[in-house]
Amino acid sequence: MIPHCQLPSHIATGPHVSPFVSHNEAGAPYGDHRSEDVHVPANPASVPFAVAPSTDKGEVAMGEPRKHTTTPYVTGNSVLAIKYKDGVLMACDMLGAYGSTKRYKSVQRIIRVNDTTIVGASGEISDFQYISNLLEELMTQDFCYDDGCTMTPSEIHAYLCRVMYNRRNKMDPLWNSLVVAGVDKNGKEGNKSFIGSVGMLGTSYTDSHVATSFGNYLSRPLFREFQRDDMSLEEAVSLMQEALRVLFYRDKTSINKFVLAKVDGEGVAISKPFALDTKWDFKAFMNPSKHAVGSW
Amino acid sequence: MFRNQYDTDVTTWSPQGRIFQVEYAMEAVKQGGCAVGIRNKTHAVLAALKLSQDADLSSYQKKVFKIDNHVGIAVSGLIADGRILCRYMRNECLNHKFVYESPLPVARLVRDVADRHQVATARSWKRPFGVGLLCIGHDQTGPHLFQTCPSGNYWEYYAIAMGARSQASKTYLEKKLDDFEKCDLDELVKHALRALEESCGTRKADDKDGKLTKQNCTVALVGEGKPLLVLDGDDIAEYVDAIHSEQEEATGAAAAEAEMSIDTSQGGDGAGDLPSVPTQAPTTETGAAGGDGQAEEQQPMEEG
Amino acid sequence: MSGVGSGYDLSVTTFSPEGRVFQTEYAGKATDNGVPCVGVCCKDGAILAVEKPEETKMMLPNSNRRIFTVSRHCGMAVPGKLPDGRQIVSRAQQEAENYKRFYGETIPTKVLTDRLANFCHVFSLYWHLRPLGSAALTASFDDDGPHVYLSETNGVSYRYYGIAVGKGRQGIKTELERMKLDQMTCKEALKAVCKCLIKQRDDSSNKKFEIELAWISEETGREFVRVPADLAKECEAAAKKEIEQEEDDDSDMEG
Repeated sequence: MIPHCQLPSHIATGPHVSPFVSHNEAGAPYGDHRSEDVHVPANPASVPFAVAPSTDKGEVAMGEPRKHTTTPYVTGNSVLAIKYKDGVLMACDMLGAYGSTKRYKSVQRIIRVNDTTIVGASGEISDFQYISNLLEELMTQDFCYDDGCTMTPSEIHAYLCRVMYNRRNKMDPLWNSLVVAGVDKNGKEGNKSFIGSVGMLGTSYTDSHVATSFGNYLSRPLFREFQRDDMSLEEAVSLMQEALRVLFYRDKTSINKFVLAKVDGEGVAISKPFALDTKWDFKAFMNPSKHAVGSW
Repeated sequence: MFRNQYDTDVTTWSPQGRIFQVEYAMEAVKQGGCAVGIRNKTHAVLAALKLSQDADLSSYQKKVFKIDNHVGIAVSGLIADGRILCRYMRNECLNHKFVYESPLPVARLVRDVADRHQVATARSWKRPFGVGLLCIGHDQTGPHLFQTCPSGNYWEYYAIAMGARSQASKTYLEKKLDDFEKCDLDELVKHALRALEESCGTRKADDKDGKLTKQNCTVALVGEGKPLLVLDGDDIAEYVDAIHSEQEEATGAAAAEAEMSIDTSQGGDGAGDLPSVPTQAPTTETGAAGGDGQAEEQQPMEEG
Repeated sequence: MSGVGSGYDLSVTTFSPEGRVFQTEYAGKATDNGVPCVGVCCKDGAILAVEKPEETKMMLPNSNRRIFTVSRHCGMAVPGKLPDGRQIVSRAQQEAENYKRFYGETIPTKVLTDRLANFCHVFSLYWHLRPLGSAALTASFDDDGPHVYLSETNGVSYRYYGIAVGKGRQGIKTELERMKLDQMTCKEALKAVCKCLIKQRDDSSNKKFEIELAWISEETGREFVRVPADLAKECEAAAKKEIEQEEDDDSDMEG
């Protein structure tokens, strides 16, 4: 069993963090690098992580298919989410990777949508910024109606399914895997936790635990074994930390700078960035060539 | 009527800042058959009086429509106009369900349909919708009852009636307003039917002389965990019989007590009419909105 | 003089010989004869208030609203014909949303109110439309601080320290002119606004009234929200008390 560990105090009493403003502690999510030129290679096709040149309708040669984004540029990696007794937890690192370059290190990939819902994203960061704007517009509409109805996590999940599937059918997908998590307070039998996932093709499902990209292979086996819907917050947090640690060990496009978010009956709390203890001095690491003779 | 040079066009303001065409459209609502709506903390119900061209030969005009599992409407006025709005509302609900996989909040639906009413009051090539709607529904904020008006106004009520002679029904509802909160669903339906019966005058079209029958009325109900249900014909026979037998008991008791005084039993809430006594309940006539009587006979478009 | 009955007042595309467009003036009457609405700009925020006659007790309290939220930083009261006013509100919501989508920032109030005035103006340009029987009384808080604007159905839009429209507007305006609005906080102004509205009531009719209040200030986190019910009640009661006090004082002086 995974050892218990205390929830960091800033999570339990975490400040109310609005997704729509940049937080200085966390570093401006995207802003600080924006002005720098991005090197665009002469022949994009020859380089990984490049897109085809701009294809306005006029430029498409006869008989050529029209191309939109064919690869993403700046990407985020795994997002993890699990249910626990009082709600849901979600976690991911803060890396925005440019190909295999660890380009941006303060990217907030979990946003608060409303008092009951958070959304996390892996994949193209700019597409996620666009999705954030869509969700903000949706919440502003709720605010304007001022009629006591607010969107539930499952409604937001359904909405995002429609958006993603619609864009995919236009052959212009938003290059993301999204995780929607939250608590539905409208049910008769008390608060109900919700976790759902949407892929860039519009594939969607809900489950007690969800992970995107590498997390699917590295974290979900842990979740399958240890996650229970009735686990305590402490148990859930230490499970999450273990899953993040495993990810950081084995996924080269990840960094040791994470955020953890929780939603329960009280609302949404998104933690400040934190790092996990790691241990690299395993015996097998000491003299790698010893175990791989002739390779390196 | 009061013909003046400002009243023929919906895009013409009168010097006092009124739009007569809209006001005339509101008259159409008053000529439709009465509809009653009540809600409490758990449920909302509708009851509507259907009209027919000829009670013996024709069927009754349908005027209660299901919009979605959580919303239903009753229409007074030009039923054909009502069906256009009904189709619009059904579409709105379906679109919302398609995108969010959840029912559309009732207040937002009603606001949208009221905005559609308004658009028809501001374009020269349109005419205002000649209908009022009573809309019941249930969403995450509980049960609701709304009324819309051709002018594009809408209001939310605990209980309301509209259509021909609806004043009589309103009087009943106002009197019983405090009872509704603790009613169960069955009792709420009965209240709605009793209120509706207040509005039944003697009309050529319904030969029942101010009586509800299972043919001439419709009930709709919705509530927490209870999808919208529209009850017609045999399904409401039980309710109609129940309120009639209660009335008979009440009159019987009253008669025994007061020794023969049909007058008082009629004067009260008009509940005293026995089927065999085809009288005109005095309350219903006095309560009728002005200008009803003569127009009913003409029926320029099919009213309901 | 041309006017009622002359035939020059039947279409919005007809000028009278003196150069007036009567149809827009008539539409303005709908606002003038409608419920009184007040907007005031204080030192820390802005307030909107509407006085409505209380209808039957069968209607839900606070259900027929006349103050709407346009965006997080901006709200609007609609005098006159409510359905027409809702069209302006919807347009305002769209404008605010589009601006945010395009520029990534909240819409400046001046831009918004100008666009709304344009929107209203369009309805007074074509024979196949009619001028809207309402107006947009806008309160907001943007980077330049709190604002109150009135965009009217004839297409003009002005910024105000304090403004009243609808029935009894003249009396209320006189009261507002006496106040030092730029030195008041919203909380203080709430009571003062209630007082203005109560004072101009027609005592002869036995109608009951309710006052709808909404505000935006530093205190509300620069979000446009309705004034909490208990605070609104408190202000109304305090205002009533002060008026009674003043009347007593007056009669004492006379006596």
